[in-house]
Amino acid sequence: MNPIEAEKPTYIYGLIRADAVIPDGLIGLGPSGRVSTISHGRVAAIVSDVPIDRPLGVRGDLVAHETVLDTVAARDAVVPMRFPAVVEEHAVVDELLAPNEDHFASLLESLEGRAQFTLTGRYEQDAILREVLLGDDEIRVLREKVRELPEDASYYDRARLGELVVRALEQRREAEGAGIIDRLESFAVATVSNQLAAPDDVVNAAFLVERERQEEFENAVEGVGEELAGRVRLRLLGPVAPYDFTPEE
Amino acid sequence: MSVATQRSGGGGGGYVERAPGGGSSSLADVVALILDKGLVIDVFVRVSLVGIEILTIDARIVVASVDTYLRFAEATNRLDLYEKGGKDLPELVQGITEGGTKGKTSGVLEAAAEKVNDMLASSREQRGEEVRRRPARQRPRENEE
Repeated sequence: MNPIEAEKPTYIYGLIRADAVIPDGLIGLGPSGRVSTISHGRVAAIVSDVPIDRPLGVRGDLVAHETVLDTVAARDAVVPMRFPAVVEEHAVVDELLAPNEDHFASLLESLEGRAQFTLTGRYEQDAILREVLLGDDEIRVLREKVRELPEDASYYDRARLGELVVRALEQRREAEGAGIIDRLESFAVATVSNQLAAPDDVVNAAFLVERERQEEFENAVEGVGEELAGRVRLRLLGPVAPYDFTPEE
Repeated sequence: MSVATQRSGGGGGGYVERAPGGGSSSLADVVALILDKGLVIDVFVRVSLVGIEILTIDARIVVASVDTYLRFAEATNRLDLYEKGGKDLPELVQGITEGGTKGKTSGVLEAAAEKVNDMLASSREQRGEEVRRRPARQRPRENEE
């Protein structure tokens, strides 16, 4: 290996079993677009070149990272690296794979035959706001007041009204979100509840599901979705790589 | 009241919107899915780490802001409380000009969601000067079994 090659920065997407074959047609985030593997013993790293003339983190980089991992995860167990992981090429074996082969092999084994699904749910706005209004006198009275005032005179009342509505939503969703997770947990090997972003988000949870039970799980989600129709809109993302079930180290 | 019935993958009744993995989802999905998740390279590789510059990606959304309150106040104000009856004239006129394809409130909140997406995209793609060396480690693991 000449000195220039030794310094070659290499992007690492994730880890797979050494005997797993990555699918054709993967597109990397580097200038070549190529994705390949570097293996050592029982484990291998999914790697590519990396752009060196600009910082990483544009939309295409994030999408490439996810797409490579999810496409591999559709067939084989994969351990995602945290975005972005860039090392000198020789270090993939010398510092990453060789010293940690046993650890990575056992991580991969624990994910074998399993995939992640992420469930998000959001309140149907009209339905939930109507419920909040009808159930809370203070909010209803404040709304009437705001409606009678011209916009520039009602700023503080509007902010207060919104705050009360947001609080009411946050109160409702706690029990409701936990209830949704309870209904589905038994179909998964593991469950992680993620932080909610918007006030009308009800649930955001990741489920690690055995591929053999995937249909059963999907049917259960569908059942919950049917029950909540008109009140909560559910969205199921996956199967994806086990992002929420990979430790930091 | 509308019921989401899209379902792109698999069979079934269609009460749950489906999105396959593999980057075909929205940018917000991708960010939420991958950011701060996975094995941290610095833990394993210390000598030959390449300190590449990365754009600051901050996906945390401040929810308890006045802007959020005002958006929800707006949505609440526009709500027709008793669904069928009780519309006054200005509301009727507005309903007609909007074409009445969807509830009036949903537009407001969807616009807000789009704005967040724009914000995420611009912080990542346009502000090239906001760079730092390595991502911070945050996000403690929760409820892992």
